[in-house]
Amino acid sequence: MSKRILRDIPLNRVEGDLEIRIELEKNRIVDAWSSGTMFRGFENLLINRGALDGLVITPRVCGICSTTHLMAAAGALDRIAGVVLPDNAIRLRNVALMAEHCQSDVRQSVLMFLPDFTAALYAAHPLHAEAVKRYAPLAGERCVDVVRQTKTFLEIIAILGGQWPHSSFMVPGGVSYAPSVIELNQCRHLLARYRNWYEQSVLGCALERWQAVRSAADLDAWLEEASAQRDGDVGFFLRFARAAGLRDRGQGYGHFLSYGSLDLPADTAVVAGGGQLVAAGFVADFGAVQSFDQSRVSEHVAASWYSDYEGGKHPFEGVTDPRATGADGKKYSWCKAPRYAGLPAETGPLAERIVGGDPLFLDLVRQEGANLVCRQLARMTRPATLLAAMETWLVEMAARPDSPYYQPLSPLVEGRGFGLIEAARGALGHWVEIREGRISRYQIITPTAWNGSPRDGAGLRGPWEQALIGTPIADIDNPVEAGHVVRSFDPCLVCAVHVVGAEGTPLRG
Amino acid sequence: MSGNAIICLGNRYVAGDDVGCRVFDRLSSGELPEELELVDGGLCGLDLLRLVEGRRRVVFVDALAGLADAGSVVVLSREQVAAYAGGYGHGAGLPYLLRLLPQVCATPLPEIVLVGTELMGNAADESVIGDLAARCMEVALHGA
Repeated sequence: MSKRILRDIPLNRVEGDLEIRIELEKNRIVDAWSSGTMFRGFENLLINRGALDGLVITPRVCGICSTTHLMAAAGALDRIAGVVLPDNAIRLRNVALMAEHCQSDVRQSVLMFLPDFTAALYAAHPLHAEAVKRYAPLAGERCVDVVRQTKTFLEIIAILGGQWPHSSFMVPGGVSYAPSVIELNQCRHLLARYRNWYEQSVLGCALERWQAVRSAADLDAWLEEASAQRDGDVGFFLRFARAAGLRDRGQGYGHFLSYGSLDLPADTAVVAGGGQLVAAGFVADFGAVQSFDQSRVSEHVAASWYSDYEGGKHPFEGVTDPRATGADGKKYSWCKAPRYAGLPAETGPLAERIVGGDPLFLDLVRQEGANLVCRQLARMTRPATLLAAMETWLVEMAARPDSPYYQPLSPLVEGRGFGLIEAARGALGHWVEIREGRISRYQIITPTAWNGSPRDGAGLRGPWEQALIGTPIADIDNPVEAGHVVRSFDPCLVCAVHVVGAEGTPLRG
Repeated sequence: MSGNAIICLGNRYVAGDDVGCRVFDRLSSGELPEELELVDGGLCGLDLLRLVEGRRRVVFVDALAGLADAGSVVVLSREQVAAYAGGYGHGAGLPYLLRLLPQVCATPLPEIVLVGTELMGNAADESVIGDLAARCMEVALHGA
């Protein structure tokens, strides 16, 4: 009989509020449980507040993607109001959201994912010394460069929205501020500088060259084509990951979900099918793309620390009633378990590319599976799909200074609506119900709830629980390999509690 | 940006983590010297960098955990706070920023201190908030 080991593993550069328990047999993960260890309670905080209060409170759900929550909250209220947004409001909202994505994707890659390549596990890897020079935490030259370059990019949101993070400039009917042409040109300048740096340092080539990479064979050729491409962050990541054998790790169910995002204005030069730059859809078992229908979303609590109910509930029927006892250990997370058509689903940049029919990622997944390298590559290169459209929309706003940014509407008294978008980490939804001018129900399903969900009523693992199965672990005291898998989903379970803390001798002032 | 600043950190929706927000509310309700800017820094983490650059002196205000006696008000140097920095994550906060600051600050490094209080229970009482606010003003105007 082989020896099985149960171990809670620290993933503290993933999230302080995330714990992963793994079961090992012959140094491979045979089972996994993902636990969100902090109850947030934002949904209950919103009950009985004014109809618009979600615009101020929900951006505080997250300090990294507050614009994302604002956009989902505003979208739900737009739907309740039945308002058609002016084109400039759509453009401005989109540009702000895309700025947050472009910054987050690069920081996650260089400051969180790539530092694992400096681990002692890879001491014999031919690129280890170079990885340490580039990505050592707090010292690597690329880490320092990324902080320098990304710090100014979000000024775009501050210019358009008055502040970042936790802005509240999106309101039902549009946005609260019409930027001047000078301000829009400032944004274009910031965007051009960021794009130039992203092309030179992260991609190693122009956006247009990257967009011509449409198959696995194209990717191999691109990697050998020029030293700038080999040496950029994307090229280095691919060379290191391939040599380390990471392409057979981190494969999930093959179920992918995208809510769709970035609505196209009625009059725009940006071209995309389906009325959104990021397509909506669902893929089960690597099959054909199905149309997305929000009524098929449900949340289970069989393994979550909430009062039990049978099966799953749609968010419009959902409740958040914390109850952390009485289930004989079957419950292990404060995350609920979202399901689409009853299935767990991966969400995020790779899901967006699969649902959107990106030929490169369809080919990679066909040849290699939806492994952690594909997932991380999709995130690192997502800005290449956004930066050009940002420029177009800024130019279009500057060319239409007298077009409205807001459509006046009556106070919201009764109704219910949902705001569904793609956040940096994947599908984000706010489901809101208003009664007598006050919020009577508010349910939020975050991307990490999808990806890091615990088991559901049928006992199905969440996506990254499943993706961990089969992962080899060389050193149980330093399970870098498990970190790669979970980090490739870019988990985010944090943001509310952040006091400066330490263990050690008390200090006196 | 120039001059001195008090940057208040925290989340006003989380009891105990709202210390900086309450100091902000206390100070913003009174008169401040022109050369001193008061900033609600929220949960900006690494993005506080742009609020630091170009300053002469910056006083951060935040709750502490495991750094001092409960209920006490302490002043910590940049180096003391930076010593607690780990790797970067979504929750990376002030220690990470202050550790990286010498490498990424585009202007001469300002004098930086953290004025904080170790919580007693879940929330600081009003007298502690008053002590914190007074200490912040003193340090911001005259140094630690």
